Amino acid sequence: MELLSINGISKRLGGQTVLENVSFQVRSGEFLSILGASGCGKTTLLRIIIGLTPPDSGTISLGGCDITNRPPNERRMGIVFQNYALFENMTVLRNVEYAMRLRPELRATSRQVAMDLLEQLGLAEHARKYPAQLSGGQMQRVAIARTLALRPSVILFDEPMSALDVAARLALREELKRIQRQSGATMLYVTHDQEEAFAMSDRIMVMGAGGQIHQLAAPAEILQNPADDYVRCFVLDNLQTKIALLLQYAVK
Amino acid sequence: MKLQKNTLNMSAVLLGCFFLVAVIMPLLQMFAACWQADVGKIFANPLVLQGICNSVCVSLTATIFSVTLALLLAWCLRRTGVRGKSLFQVLLLLPMLVPSISHGMGLVIIFGANGRLSNLLGLDGGIYGFWGIVLGSVMYSFPVAYLMLSDVLQYEDYTPYEAAAVLGLPRRSVLAVITLPYLSKPLLNVIFATFTMVITDYGVPLMVGGRYKTLPVIMYEEVIGRLDFAQGSVLGLLLLLPAVAAFLIDMFCRGRVGAGFVSRPFVVRRSPARDCLAYVILGAVSLAVVYPLLSFVQLSVASRYPRDMSFTWHNITATLDKGALTYLGNSVAIAVAVGLIGTAAAFICAYLTVRMPCRGGKFLHLMAIISLAVPGIVLGLAYVMFFKGSFIYGTMVVLVLVNIIHFFSSPYLLMYNSLGKLNPNLEAVGATLGISRLRLIKDVIMPQTVGTLLEMFVYFFVNSMMTISAVAFLANAKTRPLSLMINQFEAQTLLEAAAFVSLLILVVNLALKGCVYILKKLLQMHDRRNVYD
Repeated sequence: MELLSINGISKRLGGQTVLENVSFQVRSGEFLSILGASGCGKTTLLRIIIGLTPPDSGTISLGGCDITNRPPNERRMGIVFQNYALFENMTVLRNVEYAMRLRPELRATSRQVAMDLLEQLGLAEHARKYPAQLSGGQMQRVAIARTLALRPSVILFDEPMSALDVAARLALREELKRIQRQSGATMLYVTHDQEEAFAMSDRIMVMGAGGQIHQLAAPAEILQNPADDYVRCFVLDNLQTKIALLLQYAVK
Repeated sequence: MKLQKNTLNMSAVLLGCFFLVAVIMPLLQMFAACWQADVGKIFANPLVLQGICNSVCVSLTATIFSVTLALLLAWCLRRTGVRGKSLFQVLLLLPMLVPSISHGMGLVIIFGANGRLSNLLGLDGGIYGFWGIVLGSVMYSFPVAYLMLSDVLQYEDYTPYEAAAVLGLPRRSVLAVITLPYLSKPLLNVIFATFTMVITDYGVPLMVGGRYKTLPVIMYEEVIGRLDFAQGSVLGLLLLLPAVAAFLIDMFCRGRVGAGFVSRPFVVRRSPARDCLAYVILGAVSLAVVYPLLSFVQLSVASRYPRDMSFTWHNITATLDKGALTYLGNSVAIAVAVGLIGTAAAFICAYLTVRMPCRGGKFLHLMAIISLAVPGIVLGLAYVMFFKGSFIYGTMVVLVLVNIIHFFSSPYLLMYNSLGKLNPNLEAVGATLGISRLRLIKDVIMPQTVGTLLEMFVYFFVNSMMTISAVAFLANAKTRPLSLMINQFEAQTLLEAAAFVSLLILVVNLALKGCVYILKKLLQMHDRRNVYD
């Protein structure tokens, strides 16, 4: 079932066409990765979907409702940034419960909900710490907990693991999949890392320059039937090089 | 949400209007007055020509001494192993807390006809004139040059030196290849800033210039004495030139300083001989800084300086009887108002230009930093011409306004840098979580920049306490701040009273700095306690 529908989105920034007539659908509860090289407009697309940047043309609908002109906080969506964007002057617990405390209907249960989320993400012991005392992986978990607190139906991720080391990435991958299963949230994940996209996604959207969609399919489908040369080159060749290198080292 | 955005847009428009009235229109009025002046006649006047020549000579000489001294001191405190660096730093920066006119007076007290040192050394009291101005200007400007250079040396990356050591470069080439290229741009910047500071100052030449008249003194006399605004404007325009040049050079150099991140702080090698030399230099300069201030104390409490040094309260009570307390009240009231309003305005302005890219952002930024290019004496003159006859003229309001504009750019740039360092996505996160901008500013942005806010307040306050350049044109008997009394007392040959007034300003500034220092320490402790809970 389609939850989120992006219809003919175009955007020009600084005289350059960043996105041109981009359309695709996101199914309810799926993990969809948007995979593309740096500068292809992935982040702009994400910002348009959540309402931080207005599109020049096109519409966005969620569950059949047109939300193109709604402010970001009325879209039932959350976003997690690469650089965490935590509130440095607040404790971990405060970071998670802050937005809930500002809403009268959520205030009463905010402490309980925040503690539960921290527990779920393995952060309970760090609740009283400040972001500066945490590792990158822990900070990103706090950012995720902060986003989950408002129970969004769609969560957007803007290259959330780029700043993390390999071990933290692998751990967080598992975590994200588990959160998705538990919460049933739909996840839209922007990345330039082929491996990451293939390891986590239900479907992958391969995006080229100007927001051109080369292929939108399940990982296995892309591996077996790449739609065009771009997909073959950008996705498969890169992956195969990596695998070949790994094999080489393994043999040695 | 819409309403919030409108509030911020409204404040941008308000700030724009504020700058229009408080910066652009007064300056335009002054420029317009230049058209009415008979420029040919002004420049045919030998007095003016001599003034220009004097100003340039004195400023060039003072700049060379001041920057050399500053470089030496920065080297002593950043590149040697001396102990008690923070104490030396405090002593070296003391001159920044008294008006420039007090430095001139310090020289008169020490080297004047009846001065302590002139008696001791058998000098004939010939401090008045060229060397007097140079000496006073160096005293007044070297701490600023030192602060700038000290920053530059502090943030120099040590990795190139390590690379040079690994490559086996000789010491001389290291200096030529690494140190000098690194220093060249900041040094140029410091030289221009110091030159501008000295050439636009009239506190020192007023006090020790004697018959050696510099441009600001001539301008002051033209405007205050003869009410010749047209000629004053032309001279003001002339003084604007070095300031604008310094401003452009600063803009040109700013990208460079602090742009690179330090990968390794500088490592100071052990060298007792070098440290000894540094102690001698630091000790001598500290003495030269403290001695005039101590002589202010002596002068304030001695019965008849320098012959009868017995203690008396008489000088102090006499100064208080002349209304010193009232004027101190004026000064503190102005300084507090400038501190509060200025800090708030500079914060809002910096927030708008850094974190809310709006159409007028560039204009606001330019307006906020333009005061770097307008000397106080020029701003004061422009204000007299523009605000004369308006309802705020002759009130405290105009004094507060002129000080806010005069000292706006430095605190603004402090906040500009602080806000630029905060995570760029905070507002985006706020928007998606339904946290309004104003809420975010109050709960997240301001708590993270509280240290900068305090520093901004201190800067506005301290400078308002000691400025004479802009306010000299605008104050009247009722609104006069304390700093202007120094000049007046000196003119009445009441040196004791002038010395006591200088001390009062120093004490108030030191007290405020001390309070803010303690407050900052408390905030740090509070943070640390929370962190390690």
